[in-house]
Amino acid sequence: MLRPALFLGGVALLVFSMAVSVRIGISDIGYADLGRVLGSRLGLAVEPLPPLVDSLIWDLRIPRVLLAAFVGATLASCGAVLQAVTGNALADPYLLGVSSGASSGAVSVVVLGIGAGSLGVTGGAFAGALVSFGLLMFLLRRSGLDSVRILLTGVAVGQLFMALTSLIVMASGDAETTRAVAHWLLGSMASARWDGVAICATVTAAGLFVLWSCSTALDGFAFGQDTAASLGINVRTMQNVLLVATALLTAVAVAFVGAIGFVGLIVPHCVRFLVGPLHRSLLPFSALGGAVFLVVTDAVARVAFAPQEVPAGVFTALIGAPVFAVILRKRGGL
Amino acid sequence: MSKGIRITVVLALALGATACSGAPHPSAGGDKKAGTVVRSCGQSLSVPEVPSRAVTLDQSSTETLLALGMADRMAGTSYLKTSIAPRYRADYEKVPVLSPKTLTSEQLRAANPDLAVASFAELYSKDRVGTREELKESGLPTYVSAVDCPRHSRAGMTPFDLLFKDYENLGRMFRTENRAQKLIDSQKKQVQRAASVSKKVKGKPSVVWIYSVFEGAPYVAGKGGLPSEMSRLVGAENAFADVDEQWPEVSWEAVADRDPDLIVLGDIPELGQPGDSAEDKLRMLREDPVTSKLSAVRNKRVLTVPGIEMDPSVRSTHTLGLLADEMKDRGYAR
Repeated sequence: MLRPALFLGGVALLVFSMAVSVRIGISDIGYADLGRVLGSRLGLAVEPLPPLVDSLIWDLRIPRVLLAAFVGATLASCGAVLQAVTGNALADPYLLGVSSGASSGAVSVVVLGIGAGSLGVTGGAFAGALVSFGLLMFLLRRSGLDSVRILLTGVAVGQLFMALTSLIVMASGDAETTRAVAHWLLGSMASARWDGVAICATVTAAGLFVLWSCSTALDGFAFGQDTAASLGINVRTMQNVLLVATALLTAVAVAFVGAIGFVGLIVPHCVRFLVGPLHRSLLPFSALGGAVFLVVTDAVARVAFAPQEVPAGVFTALIGAPVFAVILRKRGGL
Repeated sequence: MSKGIRITVVLALALGATACSGAPHPSAGGDKKAGTVVRSCGQSLSVPEVPSRAVTLDQSSTETLLALGMADRMAGTSYLKTSIAPRYRADYEKVPVLSPKTLTSEQLRAANPDLAVASFAELYSKDRVGTREELKESGLPTYVSAVDCPRHSRAGMTPFDLLFKDYENLGRMFRTENRAQKLIDSQKKQVQRAASVSKKVKGKPSVVWIYSVFEGAPYVAGKGGLPSEMSRLVGAENAFADVDEQWPEVSWEAVADRDPDLIVLGDIPELGQPGDSAEDKLRMLREDPVTSKLSAVRNKRVLTVPGIEMDPSVRSTHTLGLLADEMKDRGYAR
């Protein structure tokens, strides 16, 4: 009917935006060059590009566009899920304190040099995210997963780790490090490489499938926990599965690109206007919408203030807020 | 026109000489390509031909290459912290500025360089120009100043010794050994002249080096950096030599507590934030209720130097000279 056609349209839009944005950057790439890079990788008899140009396209641009798509899909889907689980329209993927934990972890590596050799910034951020989420679940272990309690505990854990991050930066960072860390905290796609794409692709695919398979339960949660229970949903187990899945997905995304804001908050709302609140379609469309949005935003971030590159996290809100305002106006009430 | 031809001829001769002279330092790893091989910060750089498209990742590297007269062998510069020293300005204008701030991975590759030169290993990271390993794979040798990785040099080398090591290495890569040796000789003389002051110094005057003031707190020179070495050379001592960090952030009270005989202020007006120019720093010293009572402030024993020269660079001997003169003028040295 309408939905499959719409979904295919979304996929086409994603492919189109990726194909366009892969060309955009400090030096614009023609499709001929792109063909030569892919051709030489496939073992075709094409004249290879100079190694550095080849590296620009193959090692930087292509993985960056792919990573933007995976991260965008992850953030938007996690946002949609958490908005349902907590019954709060303002919920976003960073609600569980994961991004604050990740920044503490990243700062520990950058500033304090803890595990700088073995973990790296990505590993440190991921470890930090797990620690903060672990703390959250520990604090929630006895009490039920009442949505207000999840929200408040998440805020508290987030604030704790934010303070920890500031403390580490203030106590021992010199001016240069402080400025570098501030850049990371805003969220930037600049360090995208193939290893990140591989991990994100795997985690995103698996994670989104898990979330999607919980669609019915999520529809139940949307009407409140009591309704969900009366529908025969094991609320506690379901909540645990959904919280762990979204936390892991977000942790991986944050570890690779920092805390890119706005995508996970606004995209699900936009998509809800378009396809309605049922999660069976809301989740895949959110994933598509998030992917398209971040791919396009990051392309703009690459060139808007050339030769300077602006962190993508700055542009997500700059572009997203007006778009959302327009949609909100057109639709009238929520 | 005739000048252009002359340069071409000289270049051709130089290239010819390079081709004939073969490999004066064959690589231990048995690289097939003949050329210069230089050790830099844990990596062995193989430079098959004299670089003709070098790109510098920060101002100190830029000025070092300009001091060696390599302007016509540079494809670009980046990351200007402060204005270029007047004596290099004419040459600097001949080289394209790829970015006023830190270079991105795409910008570096798009410039199609055959050598990258940096003062800090940290500039080669995934979120900046990319790691040294991946650039090596794309055939780009990456030089890191010996100053930034003393553990790869003989123990006990002073920052000036390490700087001279840089001139020597770069001189070999660019086949301009004579020019490099001249630079080393002249700077060695300046160091000796400053050191001669120390013999006439009574006691051990203490010096506080203030690099910048960021959000109200001064960043001063700590242990092991160039300021400590410069203080030592002229027979003084760095008042914060006990703090085990290069540029620790301290409080104004801590500065007052050390009650230094002399205060050196770094002038970096181009950073453009309050606290970056020497004027701002001096005003803060005079207005702070505690530091305003310091004898160094009341008696105007305050020396202003270009901030960039507090970090090891080809310009640092200039500040060393200023410090030596100050020691004489203030009567610490007879």
